[in-house]
Amino acid sequence: MSDARKVPAPGENPGWAGNTGEYQLSESQVRGEDYVGVRPPEGGHAAAAASYPYMLAVKDPDAVLFEGPYEERFHKILTRYPDRRAALLPTLNLAQEVRGHVSPETMDRVADLLELPHAYVRGVATFYTMYNKGPVGRYLIQVCTNISCSLCGGDKVLEAFLEATDTELGETTSDGLFTVTEVECLAACGFPTAVQINSRYFENVVPEAVPAILERLRAEAV
Amino acid sequence: MGYPYSHSSEVPLLSKHFGQPEARTLEGWKARGGYEGLRKALELGREQVIDAVKASGLRGRGGAGFPTGVKWSFMPKDKNKPHFLLCNADESEPGTFKDRELIRWTPHQVIEGCLIGAYAIGAEHCYIYVRGEFFEATQVLAKAIEEVYEAGIAGDDAMGSGERLDVTLHVGAGAYICGEETGLMNSLEGRRGQPRIKPPFPAAVGAFGLPTTINNVETLCAVPHIVVNGGEWYRQWGTEKSPGTKLFCVSGHVQKPGNYELPLGFPLKDLIYDVCGGLAPGRDLKAVIPGGSSVPLLTKDECLPCTLDYEGVVEAGSMLGCASVIVLDDTANVVKQVRRMVQFYAHESCGQCTPCREGTSWMTRILTRIEAGKGLEADLDTLLDLSDQMTGTTICVLSDSAAAPVVSSIGKFKEDYLALIRRGERVGAA
Amino acid sequence: MSDKPQQSSTVTLTLDGNEISVPRGSTLIEAAEQAGVRVPHYCYHPGLSSPAMCRLCLVEVEGAPKLQPSCVTMAQDGQTVHTNSQEARKQRQGVLEFYLVNHPLDCPICDQSGECKLQDYVFAEGRKHGRSQEPKRVFGRDDFGGDVLFYGDRCVMCTRCVRFMDEVAGDPRLTVVERGDRAIIDTFFEEGLSGSPFAGNIVDICPVGALVSKDFLHKARAWDLDHTPSVCTSCSQGCNIQIHTRDNEVQRLKPRENLEVNGFWMCDEGRHNYEWMNSPHRLEVPRVSEVAGESPVAMGWGRALDALLPALREGGPVMAVASPFASNEDLGALAHLVERLGGGDLVFRSPEAETEVVLPGFPQLVRRRDLSPNRTGAELLGFRRVGDAQGQGGLEAAAAHDGILLILGDELRDQEADFGTKARFLVRLGSTASGVEAAHAHLPITTHAEQDGSFANHEGRVQRFWPALKGPGAARPAWMILGTLAARLDPEAMEEGPGSAAEAFHRLVAAHGPFAGMSFDALGTRGVPVSQPAALQGA
Repeated sequence: MSDARKVPAPGENPGWAGNTGEYQLSESQVRGEDYVGVRPPEGGHAAAAASYPYMLAVKDPDAVLFEGPYEERFHKILTRYPDRRAALLPTLNLAQEVRGHVSPETMDRVADLLELPHAYVRGVATFYTMYNKGPVGRYLIQVCTNISCSLCGGDKVLEAFLEATDTELGETTSDGLFTVTEVECLAACGFPTAVQINSRYFENVVPEAVPAILERLRAEAV
Repeated sequence: MGYPYSHSSEVPLLSKHFGQPEARTLEGWKARGGYEGLRKALELGREQVIDAVKASGLRGRGGAGFPTGVKWSFMPKDKNKPHFLLCNADESEPGTFKDRELIRWTPHQVIEGCLIGAYAIGAEHCYIYVRGEFFEATQVLAKAIEEVYEAGIAGDDAMGSGERLDVTLHVGAGAYICGEETGLMNSLEGRRGQPRIKPPFPAAVGAFGLPTTINNVETLCAVPHIVVNGGEWYRQWGTEKSPGTKLFCVSGHVQKPGNYELPLGFPLKDLIYDVCGGLAPGRDLKAVIPGGSSVPLLTKDECLPCTLDYEGVVEAGSMLGCASVIVLDDTANVVKQVRRMVQFYAHESCGQCTPCREGTSWMTRILTRIEAGKGLEADLDTLLDLSDQMTGTTICVLSDSAAAPVVSSIGKFKEDYLALIRRGERVGAA
Repeated sequence: MSDKPQQSSTVTLTLDGNEISVPRGSTLIEAAEQAGVRVPHYCYHPGLSSPAMCRLCLVEVEGAPKLQPSCVTMAQDGQTVHTNSQEARKQRQGVLEFYLVNHPLDCPICDQSGECKLQDYVFAEGRKHGRSQEPKRVFGRDDFGGDVLFYGDRCVMCTRCVRFMDEVAGDPRLTVVERGDRAIIDTFFEEGLSGSPFAGNIVDICPVGALVSKDFLHKARAWDLDHTPSVCTSCSQGCNIQIHTRDNEVQRLKPRENLEVNGFWMCDEGRHNYEWMNSPHRLEVPRVSEVAGESPVAMGWGRALDALLPALREGGPVMAVASPFASNEDLGALAHLVERLGGGDLVFRSPEAETEVVLPGFPQLVRRRDLSPNRTGAELLGFRRVGDAQGQGGLEAAAAHDGILLILGDELRDQEADFGTKARFLVRLGSTASGVEAAHAHLPITTHAEQDGSFANHEGRVQRFWPALKGPGAARPAWMILGTLAARLDPEAMEEGPGSAAEAFHRLVAAHGPFAGMSFDALGTRGVPVSQPAALQGA
């Protein structure tokens, strides 16, 4: 391996699954097309039932907690812990997956399901940043501006997303498609700037790539 | 091999199959020698596994560098109550991105390490606590877990040994502090992820009040290799006190950022200038953060003689941490980057201890003001004094971590602060 | 016999240069307390778990690499501890400055001012000037429901309130929401605290002015209040309290620590039941009918007693109706007078609640079914309970009584207007007017808030209270009036009534077995169980 090897320009990977460097890999190979987005709603094996596809394409803030395959998954999760309290984070995750955010009513329902005090559930839910406390756009765009990304232009990428969506931080576009927020380190520091959009990481994002990314998301949303 | 770039200096043990999608399947992993470590461990018995890990000198890769075999030996030997192993995959330290690669490219390596670790400490159940943001990596791992259950590798009769070895995927929800071991336990139990007071220590009273050991993903990934090849074999790399290989996460201003697996003791200078292809043309090195955002900065002069082992980095004036090397060239605005790191700690402080809760946010506000050109020289004394008040005074070390870059940057890059304070001049744009 | 060396029940350590021995298992903060050293603290509270999060109580333990939180560090043999070393003081000064970064410094309008631990500690050890120049974080105010208001900006995040509601009240309606410096105490959205029967205690344990009482809001400054130890009269639990007064008016009631009775706590029902002590509608002057058939007229005590004695000396059947809200001394004096008049039926009526309310984290503390503070005392002194659970009825015999009828306290609101008209001579002692007007004498007495005395609680613990208020007009303690009447019944005897509540108590001790051996002084501020608890009815 020669050190004279060409270094791809940031953003060269058209799939934004990160710079693949000297590896000849497609986006779907990097992301793992056989794995990602194909988990069964009922959770598969109980040991892995806590993993989740995160946001469904269509969210129903009034969805029943839980019914059908989700109820099955909830019960599987319960079997993996010595007490019901320990199932709180996975259950909130599951609730957010189907409802899109964790509202007071959701906390209330989850508290009842797990026989926990309501205030306690609120205390836990607000401790963790991944629970959306209110509705967000179909695509939640979270741009890392922590040190490694910031050194490589993370702030500019954030600005570019805000400009391209014509929103303020945390605001949802009028078509309901995009909400742009700042996020702390996503642990993809070697692929700056890292952006998390719903379940996917978009890596090596540069400001110039932002319109194309939004275009791709719009196309997927149809 | 390193991902996305590799280098001839590398010793790819853990990273050997990075970038190989086929290695993600059980079949593919077995074809690469997978689960031989677990098979051998079950034959050897617990004590021999712990002895091998002790002999290897493997040290915790999560940042503290505590010898893993010794940690395992703290677990009570009697089995009158359940024990737990927790695999810490809540990778959140800015600059660190090795665990995600280990999970998404070699999920079975992670699982095998977990099962061996659980067996060694007499735990029937291992929880892999993965940070919530790792949706993609988590789904790769989920599938691998299903495969090991299907194949009888995990479960009530792991590999036909009669041992019960369960592994459960647990997904976090966004909180850096859950990477702290007792914060992780609270989070696993469905609580706010606030660190606990020690004592009691986890080996006595851990998750669910029961004896618990918690290990980093990379630590556990090294275990199958050590079990298969023996402790002495592992010592052929690295230094006497820091044996073995380590994944170095290099980010920032280098030509080829990424993970590189190198023997501990590797020269920092060579990592930057050789392995990572150096800085952009015409740029000069300004500073390096060698172990993630929680450790002191090193100046260029301190970097040049520094070797990357636990002792070497301490000697150079910082800490190896989780070997997350963040490189700043002469375009970097040190004040801004320090502010950004402290802001991160303010955002992630759990809020329990007063010095951390109030100190991190107060320091952020002062640094922001300095960055905006409205600082005073007296602010630097205040920052140093606050850092002192935030060091060694709290339940966990998050507040110490916030103070470290502040103290080291004021000590080593005071001119950058003074330029902003006196003339409103920013040094560096990035 | 075990071969193991016996572990002594105490440990000996050196604290601030003095060697002290404390019970094994004490924390350093407890050890210091026993040695008379108060280590500043917020999150630690003796009635709650210790999260060691305020970081104010850190002390230097020789040999330890860092300062240690004294609230969770166990005292050990041979330890050398410095609570006041330079390091420890520096730590406290640092933490105190952190608290002030976002504190609004609104002491002039804060109810806690004067009894605020942030004020006290900063005054004692804080920096002269804070160094923060940054804008402050603003949370604002929140109504937690019930009697509790929350001023988020004053909060020091000690979480005592959260832990009280969870660990003690067993009603975990409070929580910390958010994290870092955005962390704040809250309930589940609009749920609030109303209906939680012990929630008022969180105001007491809040070390600063974050949780304040709506009832007390802007009512009085802490330094203007006089504190008088007393006993709650809202049920038979006998919670130890303090009556806080200003300008001869009760401003609030606060629980007073007694680990045998109420811990550090009291219920909200009792806490807020004090307005009656401030009532302006009081009997203030003795009114006695000197001529048969004429209405009673106001007069001084000398003339009043002189007017009563002849009718009492006439004798005849005697009956007394007392109140279980009267003190042991009052009831003892009444029993003694009846005895001197030749004996007669002693009865009382007392209300009961439908249910009890237990404090789960301190189950000795129960809002008792029995709603009177001294029913046990009345029973031990020979009074018999009549009437129903509402404290009504049961006075048919009294209504028909044609001899001397003595009424102490009971307002007789449920009785017909002609109650007592059959009695030859009816004397009523009360602090307020009664529902019947037939008495030949109306004698104004002081309430328990205005006099010395004691109650026996549900388990027969005799507990003292002290006068917090000056009684109105000519009102006097009932024991004084009744004791004087008894002493003067025989004009030749030259007896004296009791000169103090202590003397009144000692007279009843001599006359009533269950109290044998007790001394008023020995009751102290924590009370003493009656000598013969077996005498307790229903025990």
